[in-house]
Amino acid sequence: MKTLRIAAVHAILVLASAATLYPVLWVVKMALSPSQGFAMSPSPLPTKVTLQNFIDVVSTHDASGWLFGRQLFNSIVVAAAVTVVGVALACSAAYALSRFRFGGRTLTLRAFFLSQMFPGVVTSIPLYVLLDHLALLNRLAGLVLVYATTAIPFCVFMLKGYFDSLPRELEEAVLLDGGTRFDAFWRVALPLSRPALAVTALFCFLTAWNEFILAFTFMTDPRSWTLPVALQRYVGDYSTEWGHFAAGAILVSLPVMALFFALERHLVGGLTQGGVKG
Amino acid sequence: MIAPLVLATQLVVWHSYRADEQRAFEACVQEWNRAHHDVHVEALALPHDGYASKLEAAIPRGNGPDLFVGSHDALGDWARAGVVTPIEGLVPAGSLTQFLDGTVAPLRVGGHLYGLPLAFKTIVLFYRTDLIATPPANTDELMKLARATRAASPGHYALAYEAGDFFYHAAWLHGFGGHILDAHDRPALSSEPSVAALAFVRTMADEELLPSESTSVVATQLFNDGRAAMTIKGPWFLGDIAQGVPFGVAPLPVVSSTGQRAAPLVTVEALLLAARAHDPKAALAFGAWLAGPESARIRATRGRQTVAARAAWDDPEIAADPILAAFRTQLSSTVATANVPAMNQVWEPANEALRKVLRGAAEPRAALGAAERKILEALRPPPPPVRAMPYAFALALAGVGAAIWTLRRGRARLAAVGGPGHGAPWAYLAPAATAMLVLVFVPFVVGAGMSLFWHDAGHWTFIGLRNFTDILSSRDAPITDPLSFYFTLAVTALWTVANVTLHVVIGVTLALLLRDPMLRLRGVYRVLLIVPWAVPNYITALIWKGMFHRQFGAVNGILVALHLTPVAWFSRFWTSFTANVVTNVWLGFPFMMVVTLGALSRIPKELEEAAALDGASRWQRLRYVILPLLRPALLPSVLLGAIWTFNMFNIVFFVSGGEPDGATDILVSQAYRWAFTRGHRYGYAAAYAVIIFIILGVQTMLTQRRTEEAT
Amino acid sequence: MASLTIDHVGKDHGATRVLGDVSLTVADGELLVLVGPSGCGKSTLLRCIAGLEELSRGAIVMDGVDITRAEPRDRDIAMVFQSYALYPHLSVRDNLAFGLKMRKTAPGEIARRIGDAAEMLGLDALLDRRPAQLSGGQRQRVAMGRAVVRRPKVFLFDEPLSNLDAALRGQMRVELMRLHQRLGATMVYVTHDQVEAMTLADRIAVLSQGALMQVGPPAELYARPTNLFVARFLGTPEMNIVGAAAAQASGLVAALPDTVASVGVRAEDLHVAPGGVGAQVDVVEHLGPEALVHLRVEMIELTARVDARQVPRVGERITVAVDAARLHCFDAAGQRVEGRQATADSPKLGIGKP
Repeated sequence: MKTLRIAAVHAILVLASAATLYPVLWVVKMALSPSQGFAMSPSPLPTKVTLQNFIDVVSTHDASGWLFGRQLFNSIVVAAAVTVVGVALACSAAYALSRFRFGGRTLTLRAFFLSQMFPGVVTSIPLYVLLDHLALLNRLAGLVLVYATTAIPFCVFMLKGYFDSLPRELEEAVLLDGGTRFDAFWRVALPLSRPALAVTALFCFLTAWNEFILAFTFMTDPRSWTLPVALQRYVGDYSTEWGHFAAGAILVSLPVMALFFALERHLVGGLTQGGVKG
Repeated sequence: MIAPLVLATQLVVWHSYRADEQRAFEACVQEWNRAHHDVHVEALALPHDGYASKLEAAIPRGNGPDLFVGSHDALGDWARAGVVTPIEGLVPAGSLTQFLDGTVAPLRVGGHLYGLPLAFKTIVLFYRTDLIATPPANTDELMKLARATRAASPGHYALAYEAGDFFYHAAWLHGFGGHILDAHDRPALSSEPSVAALAFVRTMADEELLPSESTSVVATQLFNDGRAAMTIKGPWFLGDIAQGVPFGVAPLPVVSSTGQRAAPLVTVEALLLAARAHDPKAALAFGAWLAGPESARIRATRGRQTVAARAAWDDPEIAADPILAAFRTQLSSTVATANVPAMNQVWEPANEALRKVLRGAAEPRAALGAAERKILEALRPPPPPVRAMPYAFALALAGVGAAIWTLRRGRARLAAVGGPGHGAPWAYLAPAATAMLVLVFVPFVVGAGMSLFWHDAGHWTFIGLRNFTDILSSRDAPITDPLSFYFTLAVTALWTVANVTLHVVIGVTLALLLRDPMLRLRGVYRVLLIVPWAVPNYITALIWKGMFHRQFGAVNGILVALHLTPVAWFSRFWTSFTANVVTNVWLGFPFMMVVTLGALSRIPKELEEAAALDGASRWQRLRYVILPLLRPALLPSVLLGAIWTFNMFNIVFFVSGGEPDGATDILVSQAYRWAFTRGHRYGYAAAYAVIIFIILGVQTMLTQRRTEEAT
Repeated sequence: MASLTIDHVGKDHGATRVLGDVSLTVADGELLVLVGPSGCGKSTLLRCIAGLEELSRGAIVMDGVDITRAEPRDRDIAMVFQSYALYPHLSVRDNLAFGLKMRKTAPGEIARRIGDAAEMLGLDALLDRRPAQLSGGQRQRVAMGRAVVRRPKVFLFDEPLSNLDAALRGQMRVELMRLHQRLGATMVYVTHDQVEAMTLADRIAVLSQGALMQVGPPAELYARPTNLFVARFLGTPEMNIVGAAAAQASGLVAALPDTVASVGVRAEDLHVAPGGVGAQVDVVEHLGPEALVHLRVEMIELTARVDARQVPRVGERITVAVDAARLHCFDAAGQRVEGRQATADSPKLGIGKP
């Protein structure tokens, strides 16, 4: 009876994993196939294998040098900066919302929630004008700020939930031990929230790493593009270079997947309120 | 000491060329820079998606290029929006005769010339020389050949092309003697010749002389496989032809009943002078050179461009190229796409009519009549401007009221606040709150403000709540039409409910399975199952669009392997909707799974053990102990997930693209279309966005209140 | 070391009054126990002293300095929490050092103080462990150690023993008393356990519904509760309370003045004696050297503490008598009525203005 049940569970999970992996394998196949066409068959295994698409994508050059390298560098800088800025802003805001009772607290929480309902279609034009006025257009800094604010609300909800679950006495002990509120936040609340912080960081990174519409709207010079915008260059009006697109897609997704796998352990605990016993 | 130094003028040119064309273009620019030290040109290659909206955003604010490469069909809008600037007086009048006939006229708007033609893009007949010796000269021969091919070997076609795309269909329409717009720029789709042209294509479809899903990809594939002897394509097709396929190029056949050659639309690619170019004279000097014969030769030979400069065609290498020659022959039988506002409104209704008829869902005359009415409706004059004072007054009053209310409530709260350091919270909150205020809320308020205006080519007219009344009274379409607000709202609601339900059911199920203490390889499964989360969602969307492909998609491949009938996923509402949902479910279930795993780990084991001792079965424990405990933990994620799904633009836009006929569009993608593909009606799109916001806000408030009452 | 004065302190949570108007002094070196049923406001009062909650009214003065508005860190107060609140991410050593580092104590001094505290509390072997690796009793010791190393002016304890099992609790109680004697420090200790209060306290303050009922040495409170609440709350078994009319009618007590509404008799003051009133034995609880006998006089249920050698049998009819000198009288409002007992005046310790 028990072995039967476990077998059934395995069967379902194997099926689910297969359904999950199938499209991914299929991209790998496109990337490894020599043609730029959209040739497909049910089999996710490539018939002819070549690394040419990857070589083409990675070796993109322009007059000033190695363009792909430059764009990879931009992506890394932007994603890293968004992670730092996003986490810093989100965790301090979440801490205030979790630990203080003050006029405007509910309003702030509501406003953060409401911001998730703004359709981006409408805000991109005013945002463009705004960045222009702030002299942040065409600058990675502008992109970093925009991405960070996009990521903040969700990160705040997540971190606030986590902070709420931390026993307050720990921080009160800090206050009595001669620490300030900031000591309580910095030396106790933050170190204890490591799983949630890891997940928050992952989200910020993801937001910045994957976005292309705003990146393209705000950045003109290909040397200041991030990888997703460069990837979009393979999608044309009349035809798409599928092989290059797939190779690029894999290159873009790989670091994110690596991060996901590295943080997978934290993801489960960090996403919902965790408890600290001690 | 000051060196006698002449600073070179710097020019920036934007384009969206790729591959060979890009290399040829950049070679030209290099050539220029080598020869001209006083004017240095820099060429920027931008992605094609969003190229136009980027131009429109950047140029009026002085962030744009000096020159850009653009198609003439958008020129009308650009001229009226002040994106481009006339060039008369900057080029000698006589110099325009150096371009092929028909390539200069489309660059005029309201009597002004805005650019110089670089190349023309039109479509011709490609044929496989190993399958047919000479291409059919007229439509009768074409039909005969098509019937013979079908009879000889089913699954093979004489001709495969994008029959469902009005751009291609226009060739037949003109060949039958019809027009898209009449002399007064009004739609003329329901004229007799136009009905005849549609009936002709329908006959081909009915007799299965065309592949059932006639998309670009299918046509390419069939042609490369040798299962289609001919296809109708533009110059870009040269790169898609598989190696070793012997092919020839010919002008389109003559329509037998009229004796006129099928005349496709032609697009002139021009170098346009951007408004606010800082040195128009230098820009035009470069422009004249780039459009001229020397550069044209480079572009024709290296980029295989069908160039507009007449002199280039005298070059022996180009003259000897039979492919380029065929395009030039075709050019004399083409119609330039009109660059008037009316043309923008033609595409969507015309495509819809075309596809309906090809599916057998409508008769040509009725479908074209309906399309024409839709175009006229979209072309209605803007509503009259409204005095802004009453609105400003009402707004001010509401603002004061809200401020007083907030202050009074705020004071009551503050008095009740305890705890040390009440000044502190804002110190922690300020950075995030400021950033959100400036970069999220301000743009939204501005965006929402746009909903009170009518936008036309850069000019804004205050029209009060007219956009809202138009949307809510379903002015643009009957209520049951896919374009009506209520239809879209219903689809959006269905979309959200279906997705969220499936996300939760699959996520929770998998999480419960993964929780089984007897299970091995748990970590492996967990890692595999979160993969979709890590893939950027526009990539996911493009992959799944391919997977649902009628002919080559893996989904149909599996159906065939299971001896089931393959499905044309995007031609019917339910299948198309299903494709969208499947994609979004694939993308979204890992999030719910992970959230559930987290919530499950927080349910004390004792509770389940107690229930087991109380005699509860496995199922009963799940139903009466675990699920009720999961509910509150999952609720915030479900709520947030519902909001995200409601606004999940990428999936709908990239997977089904609203097919069939915009029926699977959700409110956000509909808003996008109003803003960017249906004549830039930003005000209307903004009104959609505000309505979306209100719906979500009210829905969330109600849900929260209900859950607060429940707990 | 310091003295502490709580002056007309009140605290509201919204419309709810958590603390009414509490005034109290804690002398230098004294161990004062705040006791009361849960929700009586004792923890709130403690947190107000610590500065973790702000007062709605009144003032707190330490050594003559008003600290009402001072930040917790400026008060030089240490607190042992019910949940111990040990920093889970720090070792025991770092937990002990935390407060000293915050106050910029020299590293050598920190090490010395940790050494002293570890020795005093037997923590030497545990210094490099994390809190999660400790047993409940060990965590309790670390929590105390964390307070001790600081050498604060005042120690606060918030039900520190409530998470321990009975045996350990008794052991820790003794240890705590030893600690108090050794340090001679001012301590305020909150508990809901009246036995803990009686054994530990120099003085006890009884709180109920945010109001101070009585303050005094344990023996004093036991002997002369000022009202029915204190009378009932302190002492096991609970004091026998009988309505004045019923008590007189049954003959348990002689005539009472009209102001007396009810009378109270502790179990040990109800003697099995010949010539008393007749009573029926219901239940007998054996406690070893003595027994609690639950009996009925007419319809009045009473409990008597009886020497183990003289325990009556269940169902037996006996006679009982009240030690009249130990009778507690209360008026209709539940307040103690003096006069019948001419033994001593009730000193109003700690109540009223300092």
